[in-house]
Amino acid sequence: MTADTVALTAPVTRRRPTWPPLTAKLAAGLILGGAVVLFGLLGPLLVQDPSRVGDIGLAGPSGDHLLGTTQTGQDVLAQLAYATRGSLIVGAIVGVLTLLLSAFFGIVGAYAGGWLDELFSLFTNIVLVIPGLPVVIVISAYVPDKSLLLVSLVLAITGWAGSARVLRGSTLSLRGRDYVLACRVAGEKRWRILAVEILPNLIPLLASQVVFAVIFAILGEAGLSYLGLGASGSFTWGTMLYYAQNGLALRLGAWWWFVPPGLLLALFGAALSLINFSIDEIINPKLRSQTRASRRGWRMSSEQLRKAKESTL
Amino acid sequence: MSHVFARRAVAAVAVMALALAGCSGSGDGKPGANAANSSITVFNGANGTILENWNPFSPTQLQPTNGMIYEALFWYNLASDAAPQPMLGSTYAWNADGTELTVTTRDGVTWADGQPFSAKDVAFTFDLIRRTKAINATGLKLRSSVAKDDKTAVLTFDAKSFTDEASIVGHTPIIPEHVWSKVPDPAKTINQNPVGTGPYKLKTFSAQSFVLEKNSAYWQPGKPQIQNVRYISLATADAASAALTAGQVDWMSSFLPGLDQLLKNHKELSYVNTPVLTASVFTCSNVALGCAGPQTDPAVRQAIHHAINRDQLNKLAGGGFAATASPTLLLPERDQKWITDPAHVTIPGAPDVAKAGQILDAAGWVKGADGIRGKGGQRLSMTIQTVTGWSDFISLNDAMAQQLKEAGIELKPAQVSWNEWNNNQVQGKFQLSLDSIGLGANNNPYHTYQAKYATVTTAKVGETASTSGNYARYSNPLVDSALQAAAGTNDEAAQKAQYAIIQKEIVRDLPYIPIYVNSLLTEFNTSRATGWPTNENKYALPASWKIWDNGIVMANLRPAK
Amino acid sequence: MRYLIRKFGFYLVALWAALTVNFCIPRLMPGDPVEIMMSKLGQKGPVTPETRQSIEALLGADSSRPLPRQYGDYLAGLATGDLGVSVTFFPASVIDIIGRTLPWTIGLIGLATVISFLAGVGLGTLAGWRRGSWLDNLIPVTTMFQSVPYFWLALILLFLLGSVWPLFPLNGGYDVYTVTPGWNGEFLGSVLYYGALPALTIIVSSAGGWMLGMRNMMVSTLSEDYMLTAEAKGLRPGRIMRRYAARNAVLPSISGFAISLGFVVAGSIVTEAVFSYPGIGSALLQAVGGNDYALMQGIFLIITLAVLGANLLVDLLYSVIDPRIRARS
Repeated sequence: MTADTVALTAPVTRRRPTWPPLTAKLAAGLILGGAVVLFGLLGPLLVQDPSRVGDIGLAGPSGDHLLGTTQTGQDVLAQLAYATRGSLIVGAIVGVLTLLLSAFFGIVGAYAGGWLDELFSLFTNIVLVIPGLPVVIVISAYVPDKSLLLVSLVLAITGWAGSARVLRGSTLSLRGRDYVLACRVAGEKRWRILAVEILPNLIPLLASQVVFAVIFAILGEAGLSYLGLGASGSFTWGTMLYYAQNGLALRLGAWWWFVPPGLLLALFGAALSLINFSIDEIINPKLRSQTRASRRGWRMSSEQLRKAKESTL
Repeated sequence: MSHVFARRAVAAVAVMALALAGCSGSGDGKPGANAANSSITVFNGANGTILENWNPFSPTQLQPTNGMIYEALFWYNLASDAAPQPMLGSTYAWNADGTELTVTTRDGVTWADGQPFSAKDVAFTFDLIRRTKAINATGLKLRSSVAKDDKTAVLTFDAKSFTDEASIVGHTPIIPEHVWSKVPDPAKTINQNPVGTGPYKLKTFSAQSFVLEKNSAYWQPGKPQIQNVRYISLATADAASAALTAGQVDWMSSFLPGLDQLLKNHKELSYVNTPVLTASVFTCSNVALGCAGPQTDPAVRQAIHHAINRDQLNKLAGGGFAATASPTLLLPERDQKWITDPAHVTIPGAPDVAKAGQILDAAGWVKGADGIRGKGGQRLSMTIQTVTGWSDFISLNDAMAQQLKEAGIELKPAQVSWNEWNNNQVQGKFQLSLDSIGLGANNNPYHTYQAKYATVTTAKVGETASTSGNYARYSNPLVDSALQAAAGTNDEAAQKAQYAIIQKEIVRDLPYIPIYVNSLLTEFNTSRATGWPTNENKYALPASWKIWDNGIVMANLRPAK
Repeated sequence: MRYLIRKFGFYLVALWAALTVNFCIPRLMPGDPVEIMMSKLGQKGPVTPETRQSIEALLGADSSRPLPRQYGDYLAGLATGDLGVSVTFFPASVIDIIGRTLPWTIGLIGLATVISFLAGVGLGTLAGWRRGSWLDNLIPVTTMFQSVPYFWLALILLFLLGSVWPLFPLNGGYDVYTVTPGWNGEFLGSVLYYGALPALTIIVSSAGGWMLGMRNMMVSTLSEDYMLTAEAKGLRPGRIMRRYAARNAVLPSISGFAISLGFVVAGSIVTEAVFSYPGIGSALLQAVGGNDYALMQGIFLIITLAVLGANLLVDLLYSVIDPRIRARS
């Protein structure tokens, strides 16, 4: 529909991917995100069985249970560790699938051009206008045994189209650049032009699309689980919140059950957003030039101001 | 979560501990000063949009249709073992064959539109059912239905129909001939202007809420006293608990975790617990019909029965509200007169792991290196299924898996969608499954036993068993013949002798392993109305979603002063 | 004109694809409405084998027709507005249920989305115009609200503002206790009051995204040469900001807005579940809970149609506000 406007506004020059400068935003994002990932990887090895019930239900945080217990005396910290792993798995699967699908339909189509581009673009646009969550709900209502993998698959299938459209826009604009035309004239093979000349320039854009896909997948899974339509028998932040909500955790004052999964999800999402800010600045250098910190450097100090005032008076 | 909640509201369960304060005391029967504009609000489990349907024969009717607006001939109180109470009928009698039922109707009843009620309406109702297959939900084998005079209706049947008694007199709404004789398709009408004999009639309707108002010509003198009853719809247990504590709901039946804590600071709120549904482990028990797995060995089922710690299960999963179950699958309190062996009235709450071990040892299940038993290369390991989101059942599974490990039994909990869970049970494609034993048409054990243990209600694995039927694939000629004998008589003593045979068989074979009788919690607000059922006075099943009983409860309420 | 014909062609293909997907999904999945209704009844009370016959008679089941015939019947039914009969609300028709619920969703979620878009784009324009200002530095914070699970935030706000400090109503679309639905001030006021908190939660959690997108576009646009020209001509800053920068920068946001209309209904499912709001999202949940495939199909279809319609509208609007597209056609 309007893919070309994206291209118009995201000028890409020929350059190899550069690592973003380590700004405070990026550092904070990496540290937060890394901590959550580490918790998801190592946490489950260190905690007790998250399903193990106990006789002390709805107990607040204590030495035995650092984050208290659920209604049935299960350890919230243990559940949180497993849930983190589950949600990260969903994010990872959807991230990879979105990368593959959107790259295939977005980049390959736009690069090949002609009827293939028309076809891919039509397909992408159709998937885009078919609303995601209702489809997910309808599909999950029909499919009986929902594994984490299935939920991720469904989320990926309904979620890749937006990225594909953005990538198509950029590829179209790159394809028309002089240096690409030059390569063609020089007789470079088409796949080589795509792989060596075009793809590297799309990496930052791909990265930012994947990061978005991961955030939306984790949020989407949480939403599905909250509606009771998530993966069966697995722990994710969403299922934890679902059980906490079902157990009226908030109304019974059991914040230690309701708050941590949501907070962790929010933190992880925020970390990814911070990373994305930095990637955005590579894609669009105009965003990079003037941060507030750098502007402050240009500003006249109060002493200079005073002097300037005096001199003009 | 919507289906959990619906299940909670529809099929909730179990025991209670707290005596009700404030409910029984006050009222002297006189309408208070505010009686003219008294109004209460009911949440009956409806969520989302409400669509108008007052057809008393429709499976999707609005819940107050039967009980509040339409009434049956008699009413069965499933909360107690009382005899059926006369409503529109005053007496009924069978002929010796059980093929002809004579009903005498009540005098002085009028329809809400002022027309007099007579036995002709009764005869018309059953004749309409005879003529219209789509509304004959219980499959009555009616041959004819005529009114001998204004007070006597005679129904004749093609086959012996003693066992349909409760369906006929207790669960068939009586409709006015002068209205329904003009309805072209009684199965599909939504009956927008319902005319009944019940204590209430329709006042206003919208898709979010509807109001019933007092039928001032109701045949019970001085009843009802509450002017308006409003029904609302709420989406979640969280919304229901918020509305209850904010004083926006006067009557609802939802399982609310931590109920005592929620109601602590609300003197006007109280609750009653009337457990009637037995949570049980359903086992696919019959090798001959195609079941496979260790649970086909009765010794394994017995061992599970003895090894589970029901006290702990009640505490963790039942919220402490569940009541003790009986291995006969009847309700220990209500059905005591039907339980023939005093030893089978209740199950002890504490586990007997030693006994479970002995039973398994005797059956040749030997403990392996990992602590799990085995026999002839088969591990004593079974999958138990329940529905995603049914949090109490999921907790039950988790806790039972832990408890049974001590007896050398491995339980693998699995959560599946409601569809698959139901389909597995209907088709017999499960090893163990967690479910509840539902309510019968009346308190006669025949309804439960016929549905759950008869060979005719089951099918081979892979074929469809009848709905809510014998999912355990249990088949026992002794039980079948006893059921047949019990169906052939309406003499309770003779029936009891047959039930004794059945109970001996099923307690030994345990195709359904009862866990506990699940709580059925009903919450009240006493600041606007009093006279609710209490633990001491269960004059009706208080659940706000129950048909028939809701009319009885509403007719008994008085405005609070 | 070519532009418009292409667009309409695309929408026709998309519509056909949506209809066909909608036709195929239930037929690929197991599930017999009679069986489902039987089991649901079995939960409420006793059912006998004879109940099956009565339900079959009631639903008038027929699955013997060949698939192409069924497809034809389905399309013919759609053309006449017949989406079938709901199982959960039998004998109400699917179209009737949609008619009752859709206005609530469009009113609440649609309005909240528009407000959120306008607020986000407005603030984004200012933030991009005044880079480095406090508003600009607020952007990471507002973006983080997007990463908070919507229902989690909504439940906490509902608990705090509904129960702890009862400023807002707890549930529902209007005050069912004292107000009669109709075109009167009292009812409309009540609807606004009951919709305030749900709308607020939607705006809080979604405005940040619009703001960020608009701000970045503003920054990019401001460095274009024509901006320099405009400044050199001595135009008033307000005019440059609105007529030159914002008008160009807003284009991608508008196309994003069209896509986000798809999320109007998607988002409504969770919102309506949290606030017990009587819209189409809760009807979809009821359909899922009751295995009501006809209703699911119908709602899904209406959602798709609404999204396609909104996209078409924005595309047409685009050709008006973006001269480049007009020039090309």
